[in-house]
Amino acid sequence: MSQSQGKVLIVDDESSIRRAVHNTLQIMGFHVDEASSGEAALRLVLEAPYDVVLLDINMPGMGGVRACREMRKSLPRLGILMLTVRDSEEDKVAALDAGADDYITKPFNVRELAARIRAAVRRSSASQADPDAVIRIGSVELDPPRRLVRKGGGPIHLTPKEFDLLHFLMARAGLPITHVRLLHAVWGPEYGGELEYLRTFVRQLRKKLEDDPAEPSYLLTDSHIGYRFAEARPEPVAENV
Amino acid sequence: MDRNSDLTAVWVAQSGGTRADSWTSYWKLVQSRIGILRGCLAGVAAVALVTFIAFRLHLNLSTSGSLYFLIVVVVSVIWGFWEASVTSLIAVNCLNYFFVPPVLTFRISDPQDWVALATFEISALIVSRLSTRAQNQAKAEARHRAQVEKLYELGRRILFLDRRRTIGPQIVSLVQEVFGTESVALFDATLARLDATGSRAEDLEELARRAYFQDSALEGADERTWAHVLRLGSRPAGALALRGPDLDRLAIVPIASLAAIALERARSFEKESRAEAARQTEQLRTTVLDALAHAFKTPLTAIRTASSGLLETGRLTADDFELAALIDEQAEHLNRLATKLLQMARIDAAEVRLRRGRISVLTLIEDVLARYREQIHDRQVSVSDAAASLEVYGDREILAAALEQFIDNASKYSATGSPITVTAEENLGEIVIAVHNEGPPIRPADRERIFERFYRAEESRHRASGTGLGLSIAKKAAEAHGGRTWVVSEERTGTTFFFALPGGTGRRYESVAG
Repeated sequence: MSQSQGKVLIVDDESSIRRAVHNTLQIMGFHVDEASSGEAALRLVLEAPYDVVLLDINMPGMGGVRACREMRKSLPRLGILMLTVRDSEEDKVAALDAGADDYITKPFNVRELAARIRAAVRRSSASQADPDAVIRIGSVELDPPRRLVRKGGGPIHLTPKEFDLLHFLMARAGLPITHVRLLHAVWGPEYGGELEYLRTFVRQLRKKLEDDPAEPSYLLTDSHIGYRFAEARPEPVAENV
Repeated sequence: MDRNSDLTAVWVAQSGGTRADSWTSYWKLVQSRIGILRGCLAGVAAVALVTFIAFRLHLNLSTSGSLYFLIVVVVSVIWGFWEASVTSLIAVNCLNYFFVPPVLTFRISDPQDWVALATFEISALIVSRLSTRAQNQAKAEARHRAQVEKLYELGRRILFLDRRRTIGPQIVSLVQEVFGTESVALFDATLARLDATGSRAEDLEELARRAYFQDSALEGADERTWAHVLRLGSRPAGALALRGPDLDRLAIVPIASLAAIALERARSFEKESRAEAARQTEQLRTTVLDALAHAFKTPLTAIRTASSGLLETGRLTADDFELAALIDEQAEHLNRLATKLLQMARIDAAEVRLRRGRISVLTLIEDVLARYREQIHDRQVSVSDAAASLEVYGDREILAAALEQFIDNASKYSATGSPITVTAEENLGEIVIAVHNEGPPIRPADRERIFERFYRAEESRHRASGTGLGLSIAKKAAEAHGGRTWVVSEERTGTTFFFALPGGTGRRYESVAG
């Protein structure tokens, strides 16, 4: 077997899911450990370093969201990927607000899961990057110190708020950012319920940035959750329907 | 007794009741006459005794006058005015005959004695009148107090009636027990139910029913039978009839009010328990659904993980690969089916309670398109500008589920790469959302039926993978909001699915889902 692609901890109370994920990820070159509860997972991540934890959101005992919050407290760089079911948007938002990096909906395609894990591994190793470094994703280029945005070489004029919003999303490319987190970061902590602001600004940004604003390829909507900027190498992120 | 004629219509008892009631009132009259006679006899006997003693002891006029006066007062206190008057007349004659000189004659020689006798008689009459009146007042007050105490007791005990049992029989026996009435009848108009207790209750039942249908208070000719309408607010809800004895007719109105309150409490308890039962059913359904969702999704997740994992290994032969791909595909199909069944069941459950809010139509459309981004990435999707200014009042999850079916349908049944158009407009008080595709037309015979559960048009069965549930979900979702769905399909223009919801503000229809 080739060199390990990363160390993954799968946390789920269902042994059949642990077995299936464990075996397939192992075949794909990951080093995998298992835990059947949030409590057990907490002990494991504190004992040994992991790159990514796959955390089922709905478990007896402390549950995925609380486990995520606890892990995030002591391990800010750990990649946390929540395993959710389709109809639990509120849970997903709660998990993201508790510090999860991303979520994936059950039942998932393993290729997609592997892509998310690799992205999380990359992020956790690159998160010490220079905050002033120019961000290039696809044909979009953002220069933080000069507050400049170019697309395909040509400058794009953005208002200050539009720039802040784009900067925040591009700095976390590939990650879903909840509405509330975006509002807090760009408008200030006293905001949180003004979803219409956000929608208006995202609409404006799409008009300036996307080839086809009706079918965005950079500024993506995560239904009922928030927005994410597409990753450098766009990976499929659609939900299973 | 004053008669409040505008409130009370005199009820003349019918046939069988008439003779019995007149006999009763006659007997009552005789009894009261005998009572007076008894008082008079007692007074006369006392006067005779005092006369005998005073005459033998040779008491003078003023001493024996005082003794007679005492007798008159005592008689008036014990029996009343008429008895005291008779006694005083006998006494004044005895006084004249035995003690006014010349004694043992009715003659009076001294005019002053006339004055004395007249004074005696007048004083006796006045004192007996006053004492009787005071007596009557005290009696009335005592009766009133007893009545108030009984009403209070009735009010208190009516709160403790067993609300799980039928309320009517409990009310009648409680009223009879507390007021000691001969019989009680209650007509409950909502249940069309009569309850009665005590003797000759059939007459009372009839009286209660008549009071309700005439919507007025009734009174029996015997003055001891009453019926009063029970009202909940201003609406008559039944009637209560009572028969004496010792029933103060002023107490009828409060008794009726208390009975009406008991009925109302029973009604609201019933309503409450029905709502509670509905809530529990809904909760049970949600719990079962969540458990089912978990039970389905867990094995599906394991299967898909394994099948897609196998495909990723790159170590399979072409045949192995084909088989693993089949498992993967069908697991995904099963997942879609389970998701839709759950959606359907949730919408069924939502008919009990929609979680409504104001939703921007554009946001709704954008959210759904985002979910289908992968499936429609090769399509030109356009959304009409009007959507930005429209709002609907509804359940976000359920409306999104409905719109998803249209988008899913449009992308499945039209050629790859052909455009999909989503429009929204306000039309005749409805918000109409339409999803258009350029797919082949749907046969007229199928246009109604494709909205039925599990129905799939003949040709589509071979063309696209589907569950036969999608459009029925959309229809259910629209109907849960008081709206509707339909389809227009033509060879030339393509197929458009419509989803109409009442009112831009939705205010008018807020009560639809209650």
